[in-house]
Amino acid sequence: MTDSGKPRSAVQPGVLSVLAMLAVWTVASQLTERPQTLPAPWQVLDRIGHLMATGELWFNAGMTLMRVGASFALAMAVGLAIGLLMGRSRTVDDWLNPGLIIFLNVPALVVIVLCYIWIGLNETAAIFAVALNKIPVVAVMIREGARALRPDLDEMARAFRMSTISRLRHVVLPQLAPQIAASARAGISLIWKIVLVVEFLGRSNGVGFKIHLLFSSFDVTGVLAWALAFVGVMLAIDLFVLRPWERRANRWRQDAA
Amino acid sequence: MQLELEGKQFGPREVLGRISLSVAKGERLAILGPSGIGKSTLLRILAGLDPKFRGRLDAGDRLALVFQEPVLLPWRDALANITLPTGCDRLTALDWLGQVGLAGHENKFPRQLSLGQQRRLALARAFAAGPDILLADEPFASLDPETRERMLALTDALLTRTGAGLVLVTHDPDEAAALKARTLRLQGNPAVLQND
Repeated sequence: MTDSGKPRSAVQPGVLSVLAMLAVWTVASQLTERPQTLPAPWQVLDRIGHLMATGELWFNAGMTLMRVGASFALAMAVGLAIGLLMGRSRTVDDWLNPGLIIFLNVPALVVIVLCYIWIGLNETAAIFAVALNKIPVVAVMIREGARALRPDLDEMARAFRMSTISRLRHVVLPQLAPQIAASARAGISLIWKIVLVVEFLGRSNGVGFKIHLLFSSFDVTGVLAWALAFVGVMLAIDLFVLRPWERRANRWRQDAA
Repeated sequence: MQLELEGKQFGPREVLGRISLSVAKGERLAILGPSGIGKSTLLRILAGLDPKFRGRLDAGDRLALVFQEPVLLPWRDALANITLPTGCDRLTALDWLGQVGLAGHENKFPRQLSLGQQRRLALARAFAAGPDILLADEPFASLDPETRERMLALTDALLTRTGAGLVLVTHDPDEAAALKARTLRLQGNPAVLQND
């Protein structure tokens, strides 16, 4: 909080470390005997430029983002509901906990394969499979927050006979904001990685599908171009959507100016 | 509001005994007693927050509660802290903020208010609910003497203006006197009400 007045000191090492990674990459690409296994950064950049120009990047990144968005929303909504119920009721917790632990430990790949087999090679199966992987993680984080809800506020809400919806929105959810933000942040980066696997295995568009094609032809430049371009998109979402939202939600914590 | 209490237990321990209590709109009652005797428990039963007792509660009246602590929503500003719990409109809320001397503070978050201001906000919230009877649980404890004096005078004035009744739980007879409340004493084991 106190160092927010001088972001300079945080930016500079960040920039330097990225530059250092680029330097290592450049040197390695020049030393390798087979340039196609590790292309130079500018070759990858060139490819990204090409993908942007042809519009291919926007279409496939858009499809991937749509899947990320849909499964993210589904996972957050269901995970929040389950976590809240488990945190509030001892009985529900006792009944659902074993299932939660099992689901936490089932490999993502197994869930994806089973969803494709049981539901079919379609969009529903893809989104459902990704959400299923994420729901237990959200539920566990929300449950911790729900266990620590303030009883005095709960009592106040009951004493004033606030409606269930209003209580959820103004009393319960704001208390869970730190857990919601943390699971959203952790969730979005986990989800987009799983979405790529889902696309790799059973979709005919999206970044994962593209990487599948390029993998078949050992086109490392292409793989890196797609991966970096999409990392850029996700970083932009974190920076321009998630962080501003978090700042807004945390406004009340700041002291009087 | 009428309570016919036969008994209240926490586990095997009998906390409250046979208590018969009735309060009407406009009537002011103070329940005195040392801490730990069960005053808050009795108030929670009256407020309908604790349904686990033997007996009968008739609470047709509109009630509002003032707690020991202000118990505000820290993530909502002063105005929303009145409108959200009570469901009153903006203008009514602004009017109540003015009546407790918080005009101009409507956009502040609870953290930006002093403890005295937070308590006045809690008082404004309770009155904004338009109660027939105000239930208050040691609302003046842990305040410095001067602030306490002002809060007592303010509460008295607002009660008179709205004609609302009062059930005050406190350990301090002076507070009861300042609010012109009839006093009952909670004592014994299990505790019962006696005329003071």
